[in-house]
Order: sequence, then structure tokens, then C-alpha cells
Amino acid sequence: MSTSVDALVTTVKSQSRVRRVVTNQQFVLFVVLIALILFFASRNSLFFRVGEFSNLFTDFSGLVLIALAETYVIVAGGIDLAVGSTAAVSGVVAAGWIQPLVNHGVNQAVILLVGTLACAVVGALAGGLSALLITAFDLVPFVATLVTYSVGAGLALVISHGAPVGYNPGAIYWSASGIGMITWLVAIVLVVAVVLGVVLHLTVYGRYNFAIGSNEFAARAAGIAVRRHLISVYVLAGVLAGLTGMFFYIRSGSGAATTGVTNSANLVAIAAVVIGGASLTGGVGRWAGTMLGAAVLTVVSDGLIFINVPPTWIQVVVGALIAVAALLQSFRRRSRRVP
Amino acid sequence: MTIASERTPVLELRNITLHYGSVEALHDVSIKSYAGEVIGLVGDNGAGKSSLIKVISGVNTADSGEVIVDGVRRHWRSPHDSMAAGIETLYQDSGLAPDLSIGSNIFLGREKRRSGLLGRLGFVDQRAMEKEALEQLARVGITIPATQRTVSELSGGQRQAVAIGRAIAWAKHVIVLDEPTNHLGARQSAEVLNVIKSAREQGLSVIFISHSLPHVLEVTDRIIVLRLGRVVRDAPTSEFTVESLLGTITGLNESTGS
Amino acid sequence: MKSRSWRLTKGVAIASTLMASSLTFAVGAPMASAAPHRYTIGFVVGAEADPFFQSMYVGAHAEALKLHVNLVWQGDPVDYSPATQIPVVQQVLALKPNALIIAPTDTKALNPYIAAAVRSHIKVFNVDSGSSFQRNITSWVTGNNTQGGKAAADALATAMHYATDCTAAKKCDVAIGVSSLTTSTDAARVAAFKAEVKAKYPYIEMLNDVVSQSQPSVAQSAFAQDISAHNLAGIFAVDGTDAEGATAAVKAAGSAGASIKIVGYDGYANNIASMVAGGLGSLSAIISQQPTLEGTLIIKYAVAALQGKKVPHLQTLPNITLLPSTPASVLAKYQYVAS
Ligand SMILES: Nc1ncnc2c1ncn2[C@@H]1O[C@H](COP(=O)(O)OP(=O)(O)OP(=O)(O)O)[C@@H](O)[C@H]1O
Ligand SMILES: [Mg+2]
Repeated sequence: MSTSVDALVTTVKSQSRVRRVVTNQQFVLFVVLIALILFFASRNSLFFRVGEFSNLFTDFSGLVLIALAETYVIVAGGIDLAVGSTAAVSGVVAAGWIQPLVNHGVNQAVILLVGTLACAVVGALAGGLSALLITAFDLVPFVATLVTYSVGAGLALVISHGAPVGYNPGAIYWSASGIGMITWLVAIVLVVAVVLGVVLHLTVYGRYNFAIGSNEFAARAAGIAVRRHLISVYVLAGVLAGLTGMFFYIRSGSGAATTGVTNSANLVAIAAVVIGGASLTGGVGRWAGTMLGAAVLTVVSDGLIFINVPPTWIQVVVGALIAVAALLQSFRRRSRRVP
Repeated sequence: MTIASERTPVLELRNITLHYGSVEALHDVSIKSYAGEVIGLVGDNGAGKSSLIKVISGVNTADSGEVIVDGVRRHWRSPHDSMAAGIETLYQDSGLAPDLSIGSNIFLGREKRRSGLLGRLGFVDQRAMEKEALEQLARVGITIPATQRTVSELSGGQRQAVAIGRAIAWAKHVIVLDEPTNHLGARQSAEVLNVIKSAREQGLSVIFISHSLPHVLEVTDRIIVLRLGRVVRDAPTSEFTVESLLGTITGLNESTGS
Repeated sequence: MKSRSWRLTKGVAIASTLMASSLTFAVGAPMASAAPHRYTIGFVVGAEADPFFQSMYVGAHAEALKLHVNLVWQGDPVDYSPATQIPVVQQVLALKPNALIIAPTDTKALNPYIAAAVRSHIKVFNVDSGSSFQRNITSWVTGNNTQGGKAAADALATAMHYATDCTAAKKCDVAIGVSSLTTSTDAARVAAFKAEVKAKYPYIEMLNDVVSQSQPSVAQSAFAQDISAHNLAGIFAVDGTDAEGATAAVKAAGSAGASIKIVGYDGYANNIASMVAGGLGSLSAIISQQPTLEGTLIIKYAVAALQGKKVPHLQTLPNITLLPSTPASVLAKYQYVAS
């Protein structure tokens, strides 16, 4: 082509390398994580033990799947307030269904696989409800998922009569078995987490997720099936919440209607995503950020108990942490605008 | 360039009507566009220009009427179908995803996949896309230093350049540009007009929407005037002056067209 | 084992200092063997399906039959909150009963409805939890939380072999798990437990409270931290949630938890089953309330008061300590019935 629009382009001045690293949320989080671990270990040297790291990995696993679910949803420009109660309702439903198998002494592996499937199905239904409300009835995600949250929390209470459902001590013992600080349960969760990261950042599906959250019109105009994608994202989030319900069933050997509800697990998960550097307006977020965000939250809340801090302070510290992360993010965004 | 009416239009719209709720945005609109021809689509704010091009691209579905490409009646289920048919559109309201890199934007909706199994699993070949994005932009005369940069880090004019570059790079038959000189200074606007001219030289059919009447008069072969969702004039550019065109747009000199 | 139950208590009774535990009560005294009137008594609880209230129903129902009382038993099946209890109270009052027995789910929120009942000459009684405005209450029968908390401390000290195993050189660490520090019954039990430990067991070191928010998995994570960070010897699980979390944490800790003793509260079937089963993470003692007796007694008092007889304004019932050595027939007597 003979002409050129070179004139349209003036070179953007590059940021200094140092500034880029220091304002990189993941880098900062990594430093914070290491500092926290060192701090807790300095207060109580027992922190540096396989048993404690096993505890940390386990608690991390209870958070990371719903945090990654939120990452997908938030990157796509939405929010999912339902993940906590979806975990609860999945857990009590699965616990009820598989208890006859437990009573009949069926092989534990079979029981847990059936339970996992049940949780995934219930989770998918919950996510499907959110997706339906958003795509077919045009509710904003905040309201739609709040509806799903209430339905899930209510159903969990009704199904369980407010009491733990089922009892499977074999599951508890299995949840504690593994190699070194990594239990089998944790290993499975970590594999799922890695797959989610790969899909988010390396595949077409993940690319569409960012595109939709960044500019939904642009995504639609580029031929992306936005509605179908959003449905799939909320269903995925539901499934991950369901799996989290199964995780807690396995860990405590029963399903409880309070799991993920009374501790506002949905907000903790969103906090992990925000700490990880994602933007609540969509289009921005990183798997590694969420992983580190969830790790920092886990280490803080466990570590404070570990060094015997009064429970009321723990909430204050976690709140402060989120505030710092939000400030860091706005600083980073502003620094990026430098021409 | 003259219109050879015996030729098959690359793109033809017949009797398009479109409503947004109770608002009638387009009423019985029919237009034809030919290869190697630049059409100017003009009209006041709210006249229906953007609505019309969204029907062409498949963002909007007309309530009635037909879209015909190369003589074949088509139905767009989504913009994906129009893109596949070789029609590229630059939207007035940015069609770029600001948080994605330039390369990712150029390939948005048609991502390059890795070869083999990974590709079938949906893995994107980001490196190839960034590389080809550079080449594609260069091919249409746009050089951007680093395509890994996100669009949000570009100036308004730079974004517009990327959007134009994307449209031109992919267009096979028709390229629709809705106010491409938005955000652009005089010099950059002139460059865009040159891009349009060279697209015509390549045999593309160009639909150019602009409020800058001198630009329209300079670069187009034919001008279609929309007013309140209707085509009020469709004539060779040579029949217009800035004044008569303005009159037709506003409806102050109805007699001009007859 | 089928459903495992535990109670979601929220706001309840006024300060334990009110409780005059010296009152003797006249169980079995024939007060109305031939009732001249057939009284209608409304009985409103919260979380009606909870075995605690189901057991209360057993006592109330039997006594109502005996005294020819028309008993109207009501309550939201699973929710323990004023939001669901108030409409139920209004329904029951619309029946114009002679008396209203209520276990208020909030110390204050029910007061206007109680006052309205009193204005229309309906006598109002409290059972289990109490109203903050006792002037409107004819009689209140409740468990003795202070005595229960002390009994728990003694039971835990015994189970831990305090006399031999806890010394000035090697103090025994004890964790206390509670669903919410704002639940006054639980707070009273915890306070009494701590007071008793301070007074009698100087070689017990109490860690900061674990606040489980009615969520077994939250309790479990926190106890896992305490096990990992300290030489934990005992856990006082103030409610079923925390007993469940403590059991799972100790089971999952394996050898690290082998010597940890747990004392639980309330004679839920699963608590008793855990104690009887023995083994890792089982309960060493259960402090049980007497809901059946509470139900019996409050009906007896209501009828007596309606007949113009004098009844105690506050009647506290002692909590019973159940041990693995307790005969099965006694355990069966105190076990709460399932719905
Ligand atoms: N998404 C929409 N929902 C409802 N009405 C719309 C929508 N988009 C456009 N309209 C209406 O349709 C009519 C045509 O709008 P359109 O955007 O096509 O005008 P236009 O000619 O492109 O104007 P401009 O020069 O301002 O870009 C206007 O009355 C407008 O208000
Ligand atoms: Mg427009």
C-alpha cells in the first residue's frame, strides 16, 4: 500500500524497568507473602513445620477454587456473590446422597467420586440460575447472583434442617493423607487450579473472557458469542463452588448449611481477586495474582491464630490488607497513565 | 469512477427497517455498493448511519428487509458471519478491547491457535499473533513499535489507527468505516483519507461515514444521505457541493435532489 | 448414624447474674390433676426442628396431655431469628391463647409483641432464652449456663488428667471454640468456664477463643492452627459446630492430636455417639441441658399461674455431665430426640 498512517503513531515512552517491577502487583504480593511467613515464624518457630504448611495448603485449597471462579467472573466484567452458598448447598445435597453409600461401607474412592459429581451438578445448576437471570432476564450480575445466593443459602438450611448432614470419618482421614505437606486432596485442588490458570491465559476461551470484560461491545462485534460465554463462566463458577463444597465435606466428614455462608466466603474470594490485582470493572486480572492473593489471605488468617491473636483483630487485619491492595492498584493504574 | 449498474453489487441492502423498541431508526432503506467504489454515508446526528452499518455487520438484526452479498441473500446470526463473508467494520464507539494487547485486538474473534493437539484444545499462539499483527498493520501502512502493549496505553489517535488497521487488514470485500477520523488531527485525518483511497485501489468496496463534508466530497464516489432513518438522496459525489450536501442533510433544500 | 444436629443459637438470655440457682423446683408435684378449664397455650420456639427443641416438645406435649392443655406448638423449622419468629408469634397470638410460652430468638426484638400479649391479658412465659424486659414475664425456665461452664472446666481437667499431667513447668494449653461471642448463652458458658479454670486450674493456659461462626470448617481450620502452634491438651467446644470442627481437626492431625481431649455441649445424638464410639477426636465428656424437663416444667408453671397459683419467676435447671462411663440408659434419657 502506498500510503501510510505512520503519522498516527508517536512512540510511547517506556516505563523504567525498576518501576515496572516495583509496581507489579504479583511481585509485591510475593514479597508480602514471604515477609508474612518469616514474621509468623519469628513469633513461633513451630510455624516452619511440615504439619503447619500442610494446614496452610489445606486452607488455601478451600479458598483458591472459589477465588479463581471469581477471577473468571470478574475478568469477564461480572461478580458472583453466590459461590459461598453454592458450596453450602452442594455440600449438604451431596452429603445426603452419599450417606447411604457410607452406611453400606462402599469403597471410599467411589463415595467421594459420586459426591464430587453430585457437587459439580448442584454447582452447575446454581451457576446456571445466575446465568439465566443475567442473560435471559437482563439482571445485573450483582443482583442475579445475590438471588442465587439467597436461594442456595435457604435451600441448604431447608435440606439440612440447620444441622450437619451425614458423617463420614473415612473422608476426614483421607483428607489428611498425602505426601509431605501436600495431601492428596490439596494436590487435586492444585491441579484444577493450574488448569484454570492455563485456560485463562493461554486459550481462546480465556482470551474471550478478557475481551468481554474489557469491552463487551467489541467482543460481540468481533463475532464472539458473548451470551454463550457468559453462561459458561457462571456455570464454571458454580461448578468450582460446588467442588469447594465437596472439599469441605471431605475435610470435616459432613456437609453443613453454614459452610461458606457465615464466614462470607464469597467476599473473601473477591478479596483474594482484588488483592491479586484484578479490576472490578472487568478485563484485568491474573491467575498468579489471585493465587498469591489467596495465599496471603490464608497465611494471614491462619498465622494470626497461630501466634494467638484475639479473633476480633484478625478481621481488622484482613480488612486493612484489602485496603492496602486497593490503594496499590490505584497507584499502579495511575502510574501506568504516564505518557 | 462510474457506477456500472449492470455489475452485481458486492453488498446490497433492500428495504431495511429497524426499530429500537418504539423508535424507528431505519425505514425502508435500500443501498448498493460496488467493488472499487467509496460510498459516503452522511446524515445528522441520530439519522441512522450507525444503525445501518450495524445491520450490515450483524450487530443489529433488521426487523424486515434483506442483506445481499455478491448476489446471495444472507442472514447474519452474529457479526462472526459478516466477518466470515469478508465484511469488516470500524465502529464509531470503539470496537477495541482496551485491556488486551494490540496484537490480541487485531486477532480478536479469529485467534490464531497453536498447531496440533494444543490448538485443538484451544491454545492460542500469542507469539505468532503479535508477529503477524505487526506485519498486517505494516502492510496497511501502520507501524506500531510493540504490539504487546495494551490498547489502553495508547492515545485516542493511536487506538483509532489500530482499529482502522484491523479493519483494512481483514477486509476482503467490504470495509465499513464509521467516523474513522474521530479523535484525529488534521494531518492524521488526511492519512486516513489516503488509506481509504488505497483501499479503493485494491478493489474493496468502502462505506465511509463522516460529519466532515469536505472529507466526504474529497474521497467518495457516491453519497447517500440519510435523514430520520430514510434515504433522502443517493447520487454521484460530483452532483454535490458542500452547501448542497448540507442542505440535503438538514432538509432545507428539498428540491436539490429531484 | 443419620443426621447430626447442632443448634444455631444467636441472641438469647440476659445476664447470668439474674439467675437465682438456689431455687428448688417441685418436679412431679401434682398441681392440676383435674383441670377445671381446658387452657390453650401457645408455645413458640426458634429452629423448631432442632433436636433441642424437639426434646423440649416431648416434655411439653406429655405435660399438656396430662393437664388437658390445648398446646399450640410453633416455630420456624430451621431459622433461629426474630425475622422469622415474629410472624409466628403474631399468628399464635391471633388464636387468643390463655398463655404464651416463648423462647425469644432475640432479647429485645420480641418485646413489643410480648407487651401486646400482656395487654390483652395473655400471660407470657420464657423458656431457654429470656426477654430483656422480665417485668412482662410470669416465669422463665432455663438451663444454668454458669453451672454448665464450670462443669465443662471440671470435666475437661479430669479428662486431661490435670492433677498429674499439668504442672507449672509444663502447662496444658486449652482452646475454646464458640460460634459467636455475642450469643449470651454461649458467652455465659465461656465466661464461667474461664472463671473456673482461673480459680481452680492454674496450670491450664487458655488460648484466644476460636470463633467458628456456626461453621464446622472454620472451627476445624482454627483448631488445626492451635494444634500446630501449641502443645494442645484440651478443647472446650461450646456448641455442636465446634465439637464437630474439633473432632475433625483432631482426627486430621493424626498422631499430633492423639492426646487431645474434647469436652462438648448438648446431648445431641451425634455428640453422644462420638463419645460412645471413642477413639481419635471423640468427646471425653458432654455437658447436657435438659430440654425435655424445661418443656415439662414450663407447661406445669403456665397452668399453675393461670389457675392463680404462685410460680417461681426464674427457674434454672442444672446441666448434666455425661461421660463415656455413664450407663447407656442414662445417656438415652438425656439424648435429644431427632425430629
Ligand atoms: N442502542 C440503541 N437503543 C435505542 N435507540 C438507539 C440505539 N442506538 C441508536 N438509537 C436511536 O436510533 C436512532 C439512530 O441512531 P444512530 O446511532 O444510528 O445515528 P447516527 O446517524 O449514527 O448518529 P451520529 O451521527 O450521532 O453517530 C437515534 O434516534 C438513536 O437515538
Ligand atoms: Mg453514529
